[in-house]
Amino acid sequence: MSVDASNRRRRGALIAALVIGLGLAAAPAAFGMFSRAPAGGSMIEDFRPYMRESKIADFRAELEVIGAAAGEAPGGTAAVDDWKRQWPAIDDDMDEMLTTMRDDIDEFRGVSALPPFVLFPWFFVLPGLLIAGLAGAALVADRRGRPWSRLRVALAIMGIGVIAAPAIFQMFGRAPGGARMIDDFRPLMTTERVTSVQQYFLVIGAAEGDLRTSVLPRTNAAEFPATTRFVRDWPETSHDMAPMIGAMSDNVDNFAGIDALPPFWLFPWFFVVPGVLVTVLAFVSRERRPDRARAVQLIERTAAS
Amino acid sequence: MSGRRRSMPLVAIALVALAASACGDDDSTSSTGDGTPLAGVLTIEAGQCTDAAVTAGSSFRMVQPGGTVKDGPFVVNGDSPCGDKTWTPLRPGTDGGLRLGAYQPQQANPFDATGNAVSKAIAEPQKWFAVAFGLATNERDPQTNKKTRLPTVVADGEKLSGDLSALAASWNGQHFNQGAPKPGGSMPGATSAVTGTYDKSTGAYELTWTSQIVGGPFNNFTGVWRLSGVVNEEDAT
Repeated sequence: MSVDASNRRRRGALIAALVIGLGLAAAPAAFGMFSRAPAGGSMIEDFRPYMRESKIADFRAELEVIGAAAGEAPGGTAAVDDWKRQWPAIDDDMDEMLTTMRDDIDEFRGVSALPPFVLFPWFFVLPGLLIAGLAGAALVADRRGRPWSRLRVALAIMGIGVIAAPAIFQMFGRAPGGARMIDDFRPLMTTERVTSVQQYFLVIGAAEGDLRTSVLPRTNAAEFPATTRFVRDWPETSHDMAPMIGAMSDNVDNFAGIDALPPFWLFPWFFVVPGVLVTVLAFVSRERRPDRARAVQLIERTAAS
Repeated sequence: MSGRRRSMPLVAIALVALAASACGDDDSTSSTGDGTPLAGVLTIEAGQCTDAAVTAGSSFRMVQPGGTVKDGPFVVNGDSPCGDKTWTPLRPGTDGGLRLGAYQPQQANPFDATGNAVSKAIAEPQKWFAVAFGLATNERDPQTNKKTRLPTVVADGEKLSGDLSALAASWNGQHFNQGAPKPGGSMPGATSAVTGTYDKSTGAYELTWTSQIVGGPFNNFTGVWRLSGVVNEEDAT
């Protein structure tokens, strides 16, 4: 290979590394990660209290109490009759929602064990800028005829570091889990679904009020133990349900932001691919030794004459 | 030229100050219109529902998402003593009502062990879905964490306007700003300005506003408030 070709290859490799670095640094802005990643972090925090088996079991137990009452309670008011009529559909829907949440607990744990979401954009920006800076400095040094082998070594280390990052953070296992969780939550995290759950709360609450203030007082409450228990437990049940509905409601937009990001399972590869490329380019860009280069030049001149 | 250069920093500082005053956190000054600010306590006349609805006095209703203040649908409060349970009558609290020009803040822990609100200065806590809600006016809104303005009502002849951005309802471990405008001055969704009437000779007033809930379990529900009673100026701070 001629000296010119060697120079072109070296500079081409460094320019490619510079472009990859700048691309990596620009990726968060391109994907809107500076706003979406914190939104994802906020959602994780809001859902953390509910993504536990014990909490979901508590909700199921509360629904069973309401269900037992719906099957037992005497009708007689519009609110109670409406609740008894709607309860099977409400129970099915809530059960499906809780099943989805329970099935995604492991995925949730994996995602929530990742570094704080607010830092995510910087995992691209900082290595990207470092790679671009090292490649740029090597280009300048090369143009000025100064040695830059240390910069090349640093570039290779950066590349290997970027490759290693997803493994260090166990992203190969956690990111696909996050992708599955996002798919599962997509039907839950809509304004329509949240409004439905709000309506369930109103239907149950209105019935409880009528049962407590007008229906049960007209009967022998001892004949309706499930209904009596529902009325007794309702303040605590509503105390549990209300914040969960709030968490769903408050995170509809946050979820939409996360859902608009590239698929989670791709994220490890956003590090691996540029990391491999930068490492390869660092090796490709190695300087030829001056004495060897001079020898090659001499042979080329001799051959030409 | 040099004079112009010297004046540039001053212009820049003035612009920054102007921008900061436009964008900054709210202060405690009122932005209500012309007129005479009322002082004292807007006493709350207890709501009466001799008929189905609250026919006199003070009340609260809540419009469901997608509904209208005129036609509802309204949330049914099973604890309402009214025949039409979409109405919840309000009763005066320990201060007799809503104090103007000063906050009536909630306690550090505004709930009892079962989630009932304990704020009782403005209005007596009322049961709503089995759990009592309370009212307070707070310098920093507990739901949005934004700074609010002092409660202000201004009389322009017989017409009232006001700023009740500090008003918050607490219920079941949750906080809901129920002011108009909202802290920061916005009027989201079905939120409408505080309006009312005032008879200076008797001190009788009636005040209405609506406030759409933003966030939380009742996101997009709208509180419809009506306070009536007399202005107790002797209790001015």
